[in-house]
Order: sequence, then C-alpha cells, then structure tokens
Amino acid sequence: MKISELEEKAGLRALNEYKDREVESVYISDMVSDIITSAKRNSILITLQTHKSLIAAANLVAAAMIVIVKGRVPSDDVVELATRTGIGVFTSDLDTWTFAKKLVQLGLE
Amino acid sequence: MSACKHDWFMSNLRHGFLVVEGCWECGARSSFFSAEPIPPIDEYHEGRHFWSFMGSFQTMKFDLECRACGTRVSLDDVNGLMLSECKDRGCQVGALNNQQEPGSLVYVALCADSTHTTGECVSGGGIEALNQYFNRNIEDLGRRVIVVPCKMCNSVDKCRGTVIVDVGLTDIE
Repeated sequence: MKISELEEKAGLRALNEYKDREVESVYISDMVSDIITSAKRNSILITLQTHKSLIAAANLVAAAMIVIVKGRVPSDDVVELATRTGIGVFTSDLDTWTFAKKLVQLGLE
Repeated sequence: MSACKHDWFMSNLRHGFLVVEGCWECGARSSFFSAEPIPPIDEYHEGRHFWSFMGSFQTMKFDLECRACGTRVSLDDVNGLMLSECKDRGCQVGALNNQQEPGSLVYVALCADSTHTTGECVSGGGIEALNQYFNRNIEDLGRRVIVVPCKMCNSVDKCRGTVIVDVGLTDIE
C-alpha cells in the first residue's frame, strides 16, 4: 500500500510534504534506541514521541513514514527536519492500539 | 583489504545509559556508557579533571558483524550518533553539511572524550562499517547517510545537532 492511500484510508493528517512510496511493514515504539535496532526499511513508525531524535533514527532505518498518535503534533523544527529526510510525518487522533487495529483491517500486518 | 562486500548486521546489542560528565575546572566534557540499571552520578577527581554528573539518557550500544565473512567490528569507542545541523563553514563537519544534496545527512559518531586530548577518537574501521551499514539499502531512495568521527568537529560540545538518545519517556501524557 502506498503512503497516500494509507493517508486517505486511515484518516491521517499529513504535517509535511513527503515522497509517496510503498510501505512494507509496521513498527510501534516510543524508544529511538529500539527503533534504530529493530525497525525495517519502508516501515510505518507508530509512536507517541515528537522529538528530533525520532527523525534522526527514522532516517537511519529508512522508514517510509511516521504516524504520531493521540493527536500529538511535533514542533515546526522537527517537521522541517523530517521534510529534509523525505519522511512523511502524520498525526492520528486514535491511540496506538486502535490505530494498529485499523492498519490490520486495511491489510497491513 | 578485505574482498568481501560486507553484509553487516548489528550484534552484541546492549541497552543502557549515556552518562555525560563535565569538569568544573576546565569545562571539558566526557561521556561513557553504563549498563547499570541506574546510571552512576558520583563526582570524582581524575588527573587534572574534576568530573561531575551532567545528565544521562537511555541509549544502546552495538557492534557490526558481517554475515558473509564473519568479520566483527567493535564499536566500543562509539558513545552515540549525532545528526549534525552544523552550517559553520570553518568546521569540517559544517562544510560537509553545506555540500550535501537534499536527502543526504551527516551524522557524527561521538567518542568518549570531546576534548580529544589523547588524539584518539572513533576508529577508521568503525566509521567505514557504520557508513556501509546505514547506506546498505537506501541508495535507491535518493538518500545518503554520511558518518564522520567527532574529531572532525571544531567543538563537539558546541556543535548544533541532535544526539540519538531517548528523551521525554517520562513526559508522555
């Protein structure tokens, strides 16, 4: 599934311009030290975190997109850094579990 | 020189804390990795330095190992990675940043001693392996990761960047 398709079907709000591409996996974590060791290329990162370290780590693992749950929104400098990396940053009003269930319903596992 | 086109993976993964200390006498900073459940905060005297605790952050350490030939590169001398946002033309890292195309980002591998008084920093073999590892599957995405040793910074302590550590874990509402 492409990022743009997921944005529409999952009711996400894009916070920056992003490069549209296929997502291949999902990883849920609030720890960058966990993300950097376990997340996969072209993954969707689901998190509550909004700090710059998250973007620095997501870039190293070549994540496709970041979904920040519970309606949290990062500061402008964090979004700007994500734009430089080409990683799409989205926000969802859902909590982590409800959003994860939604992804499964959309066929992502 | 090895003929192997290394297929690196992370090994010897350790979770712990990056502990940062400062010398109140000369202003130097030092850091070390602690695998203790609670990071140490002791003040102590070492040579000309009087170290005191400045902060600690959850982080991890790892080595790189090649699936193909079994080569293992120790990254014990890497205390962290910092995404550089330095634009200082008078600094090698800043100059490197200014040369990059969009999508290419410079990361600084941080060693324990920001003053580099011993002349030591992250090993050349470690830097090479980190570059190969983090670029192994992003070329087709138009991205590039450039990892450099912190001795290239004019001043690591004043450099603008984001160190990859876990912050705000207790701030989540």
